[in-house]
Amino acid sequence: MSDREYKLIFTGSMGAGKTTAIAAVSEVAPVRTEMQNTDHAHHVKETTTTGLDYGVVTLPGGEVLRLFGTPGQVRFQFMWEILGKGALGVVVLADNSSEDPVGDVLEYARAFADVIDGSRAVVGVGRMDVHPVPTLEDYDAALRGIGVRVPVVSTDVRQREQVLTLLDILFYQIDAASEFSGAALQEVP
Amino acid sequence: MSGKEERVSRSEEAIILHHLDSLMVKEQEISGVLVSTGDGFRVASRLTGSLSAEKLSAMASSLIAINEAVCKESSLGACRDLVIEASQGRILLMDIPHPAQKLILTVLCRAKVTMGQVLWAARGCRESLGKLFVGS
Ligand SMILES: Nc1nc2c(ncn2[C@@H]2O[C@H](COP(=O)(O)OP(=O)(O)OP(=O)(O)O)[C@@H](O)[C@H]2O)c(=O)[nH]1
Ligand SMILES: [Mg+2]
Repeated sequence: MSDREYKLIFTGSMGAGKTTAIAAVSEVAPVRTEMQNTDHAHHVKETTTTGLDYGVVTLPGGEVLRLFGTPGQVRFQFMWEILGKGALGVVVLADNSSEDPVGDVLEYARAFADVIDGSRAVVGVGRMDVHPVPTLEDYDAALRGIGVRVPVVSTDVRQREQVLTLLDILFYQIDAASEFSGAALQEVP
Repeated sequence: MSGKEERVSRSEEAIILHHLDSLMVKEQEISGVLVSTGDGFRVASRLTGSLSAEKLSAMASSLIAINEAVCKESSLGACRDLVIEASQGRILLMDIPHPAQKLILTVLCRAKVTMGQVLWAARGCRESLGKLFVGS
């Protein structure tokens, strides 16, 4: 991977919109690996991602973003580990209409703690228009509680522009984190 | 994060296990078999040692899903069996015909057995399970 290429992760709970988000922005036909969902007690959706999602976006500055979506369910944790390798940042998606969306976000933030490293992430909360609670502040407070300081924004991943906004924010977070660690490195005598 | 839910009844599981057992009797080098749903839940299994049927079910689901994406990407037609060659054995994954849902048969075998032999036996098991579901 060249230094202008970035591997980014989309994660979040079942049905939060990881597959939708990547399909909304990818310049290449996205890779999807969906299977029929049999766990209707957990979510009523027809299909669910059990392998990975993949898509590519080129930013106006020429940076190539390689987007990898994870399965949501914890039984696919081994895929989280595989996909997280070499990633530079994480988009965590939440569905505000679900039972415990803040708890879900904390779980993914913990699972990807090595990649996030305190700040290399953005949280996108969907369906806030119809489910205004929990609020963005609730997410922010909970994340700070586990030492993660990242932007939390309302989003609709069906809208390409809104997914691009998430990626812009994440890109900024990664840049800021790299500059910071770069500066820290230079201070070493 | 997920509620536990029975996917097959006890009696159905017993019938599936009967088929898995006869596969293992037929091929002594088969060391484990598993039937799981397309989205990664255990249905029935005969595994030895510390192998987790739950984890293997999720892995089988990911493998089959990625396999299908690769077949589609390379325009080589419908996906059939997936064979993984390991230094000390083989792992075979295949769909089981079912009218309502995708089920996966995973077969683990030791290195000694020839590929044709185990494929033949596994496909036989797959057919008999398929008849079971289509007939039900
Ligand atoms: N009404 C509404 N629907 C949304 C919103 N965001 C996403 N969706 C819908 O929610 C669904 C999300 O499905 P997926 O993209 O498959 O979700 P996923 O995260 O990939 O799910 P898994 O692979 O099962 O973990 C899609 O049908 C979207 O159209 C939103 O803000 N409002
Ligand atoms: Mg998905």
